[in-house]
Amino acid sequence: MSTEAEATLPTSDHTGHGTGTSYLDASSGLRNWLITLDHKRIGIMYLISVLLAFAAGGIFALLVRIELLSPGRTIMGAATYNQVFTLHGAIMVFLFIIPSVPAALGNFFLPIMLGAKDVAFPRLNLLSFYIYVVGAVMALASMVIGSVDTGWTFYTPYSSNSVVGSQNAVIWMTGAVFTLGFSSILTGVNFIATVHKMRAPGQTWRRLPLFIWAAYATSVIQVLATPVLAITLALLLMERAFGLGIFDPRIGGDPVLFQHFFWFYSHPAVYIMILPGMGVVSEIIATFSKREIFGYMFVAMSSVGLALVGFLVWGHHMFVSGQSEYATMVFSALTFLVAIPSGVKIFNWLGTLYGGAISLESPMLYGLAFIVLFSIGGLTGLFHATLSTGIFLHDTYFVVAHFHYVMVGGTVFAFFGGLHYWWPKMTGKMYEEGLAKWGFALFFIGFNMTFLTQFVLGSRGMPRRYYDYLPQFTGLHQFSSTGAFIIGIGILLIFVNLTRSLISGKKAPRNPWRSAGYEWMTPTPPPLENFKEVPVITRGPYDYHLATEAELSEN
Amino acid sequence: MSHEAHDKIDDGGVHPHIAPVKMYIAIFLGLIFFTVVTVAVGFVHLGPLNLLVAIVIATIKAALVVIFFMHLKDDAKFNALVFVGSLLFAGVFLVYTMNDTGHRGQIDPEQGVEVLPSTGEFAPGGPARPARSVAAEGHEGEPVTADVVLPEHAPQAH
Amino acid sequence: MDTANSHEHGAGHDDDHGESHGHGDHPKFLAHHFDTPLQQFDTAKLGMWLFLAQELLFFAGLFVAYGIYRNWYPDAFSWSSHQLDPIMGAINTVVLLFSSLTAALAVRSSQLGQKSKTSMWLVLTIICAFIFLVVKYFEYEHKFESGLLPGGHFHPHHLHVVRAMHGAAAAGIPDHSGTFFGIYFMMTGVHGLHVLIGIGVMIWILIRNNRGEFSAQYFTPVELVALYWHLVDLIWIYLFPLLYLID
Repeated sequence: MSTEAEATLPTSDHTGHGTGTSYLDASSGLRNWLITLDHKRIGIMYLISVLLAFAAGGIFALLVRIELLSPGRTIMGAATYNQVFTLHGAIMVFLFIIPSVPAALGNFFLPIMLGAKDVAFPRLNLLSFYIYVVGAVMALASMVIGSVDTGWTFYTPYSSNSVVGSQNAVIWMTGAVFTLGFSSILTGVNFIATVHKMRAPGQTWRRLPLFIWAAYATSVIQVLATPVLAITLALLLMERAFGLGIFDPRIGGDPVLFQHFFWFYSHPAVYIMILPGMGVVSEIIATFSKREIFGYMFVAMSSVGLALVGFLVWGHHMFVSGQSEYATMVFSALTFLVAIPSGVKIFNWLGTLYGGAISLESPMLYGLAFIVLFSIGGLTGLFHATLSTGIFLHDTYFVVAHFHYVMVGGTVFAFFGGLHYWWPKMTGKMYEEGLAKWGFALFFIGFNMTFLTQFVLGSRGMPRRYYDYLPQFTGLHQFSSTGAFIIGIGILLIFVNLTRSLISGKKAPRNPWRSAGYEWMTPTPPPLENFKEVPVITRGPYDYHLATEAELSEN
Repeated sequence: MSHEAHDKIDDGGVHPHIAPVKMYIAIFLGLIFFTVVTVAVGFVHLGPLNLLVAIVIATIKAALVVIFFMHLKDDAKFNALVFVGSLLFAGVFLVYTMNDTGHRGQIDPEQGVEVLPSTGEFAPGGPARPARSVAAEGHEGEPVTADVVLPEHAPQAH
Repeated sequence: MDTANSHEHGAGHDDDHGESHGHGDHPKFLAHHFDTPLQQFDTAKLGMWLFLAQELLFFAGLFVAYGIYRNWYPDAFSWSSHQLDPIMGAINTVVLLFSSLTAALAVRSSQLGQKSKTSMWLVLTIICAFIFLVVKYFEYEHKFESGLLPGGHFHPHHLHVVRAMHGAAAAGIPDHSGTFFGIYFMMTGVHGLHVLIGIGVMIWILIRNNRGEFSAQYFTPVELVALYWHLVDLIWIYLFPLLYLID
């Protein structure tokens, strides 16, 4: 790109119109947004949707923590509690985390980073968004009808013949997840085709930003795993409707089979959730260290490796389900493989930081927090993979803490990091850095208060999914709940800060972080077709030594 | 954006390889032939081989369809990888799941303990297995067959 | 950077590519974000193969369920399979294979730009799809009448033996035969749904073909629907022996 700086940098002295206008100004009116085929606008619509889902899931999380302030009934009964934690899990997983980074940030930045004008199939992209909306509406309907109380995993026989709660709510919620799955599949198909076929001239596989590699690996999982979730839920719905006999033990079915089917999707789905976050962090670490990513190909391949290994380990969710010992041993051994690509990433990020010109702006804080929190989440995962400790810790708060460290400490921190990192490019506005740092600090402190405590609770035997507990856990639970409210305040502050920037924020420069990444080479906000001219890529996205002064300047 | 499948002409236009009608007819006749074979074999008593033969013939037919009707022969290599890769993952799904369902509740040799599938309780020292039909009787390590484990089987607790 | 002032460098945004295509020779069927028809064609085909990959994984769940229960309940599967009519199944197999042939020939005709021939082959394919569904309908009707229903609804009566049984299958109705029919109806039902969707899409492609939207330069939709249709055929190639021809 360096030799073509004139081609990619905005020179803004030509007359003409059309693709030079920012995508935000290209057309106006709600209708033009709703029928847009522009990947950037679809990304923004996804962003708004997932943030709404995040808010809803967060409210349910706070309700859970309020109930756990004291033993016994605090604000709700046991049945209601079951519904509340189920909704928290289902909304956060299916409506927020899975589409958060890929569908919102990925949609916006994947084509830009490739130097493409759009994703390969823009109509499919819009369709996938509307399928998401339909799924979200169905999930809402399930809440109106009466709530699901099966946990987000919909284990049979709770889901196939629940007598408590509303029977139909399960149908609506599983129908919603079924629908959301197709949205995810279509996004995956679109991204893979885009990465393969839409790269700008000179954009070789070795010059792909690591965010693209991560999104690509994620898409592979979305295409290969999500259909299994769809057929699982279809079987579940049919089981309820017609008594197929596949999951119902009374007529010869096997409820454990449902767990196999479910986790064949949902374990790889964990990597759908975490991989894009890792991609974001790679971008952030490089930009704020002003340094080439250490061991670029290793980081790229570890994304693909995680995606593939992720398919081989699902049985570690089923150590106490009555699964065969042979299967248990194989799954336990394979689970340790996951640590290798994860370790490669952590090691290479640290290698990048080492000797880098580090600046601690708010996105970088999220990036660094990711490394710390994901390491804790990842390493505690090994406790579960080890059979002897895994069976002891199974279904305790230790598990809850572990996956929150990965999902929240990992993905959500990366998501907010990415949001802060790319916010100026997306909206053309700068947020207030001081407030952003305060928001981060509260989120970070609150998060660790909430979930470090839960490691202790779990190792002492506090089981998950109970609304009641023994009196000796009271102090720890209250401390954990306090942390949850601090998270709430932190997130609120982040939202206020970002929203305020839209109204009164300073105009963002082209490249506020002085990054060498491709997406910063286009004007802010990007024009309708992303670049004023098709860029020719002549260097890698982290080649600070090859980038020109003009490219690394703010404007 | 290079395409080995569309060699020679590189003007950005689509120049597919057009196969003769004869080829399509020949493939179709081959498919019919294998259908007749598979039905015929279905009426012959082959025991466990029956499944194997059925799968092999079906796979030959599927390969004919994929390679010739779907033009994977002349297509980009990556498309073939997508197809074969998805079959591979389906295979992982099948094999791993059956590794569990075929071996439930069997002996844990390290502990010298056997689970009684009928009660889910531990049987110290590994006593004789509970009564099961002769057909299902197998030596150690043989899959526990349906009629022992599965009538009213709750998930076999350990 | 003042966005209001940013403008495009004329129409030459394709000029950086090896092959030079300005807006002038951007054909109507070529979407704005592609540079060449070949790029668009290859991208569309890759997208379709990826879609087929997810279809395979979707069906994989059913095949896994089939494998597990066949392993667990071999007698039930054997007995139940003998209640299905292999002749009906074989007829449907031939019908679907023939429809695959006509679909492939439709693609060939459209590659050559022969509009009316393409339509003819498409119509033949659609007719075959309908025949398949009609045969399926009669088979389903027979199952309903005989009470050969999934899982809990299984209550066999009025059975007439279609295929000679031997061994355990001849001894009487084994336990869990309902499970077989649960899987049978799921597999054939989901497959039938795909046939139905295929009919819908092919009718749409037929209409577009008659409108003259396709040519030797642009036949992508015909190619894609044929790929989908071959996959439907492919699934049936496995379903037929696995369901109808268990020993």
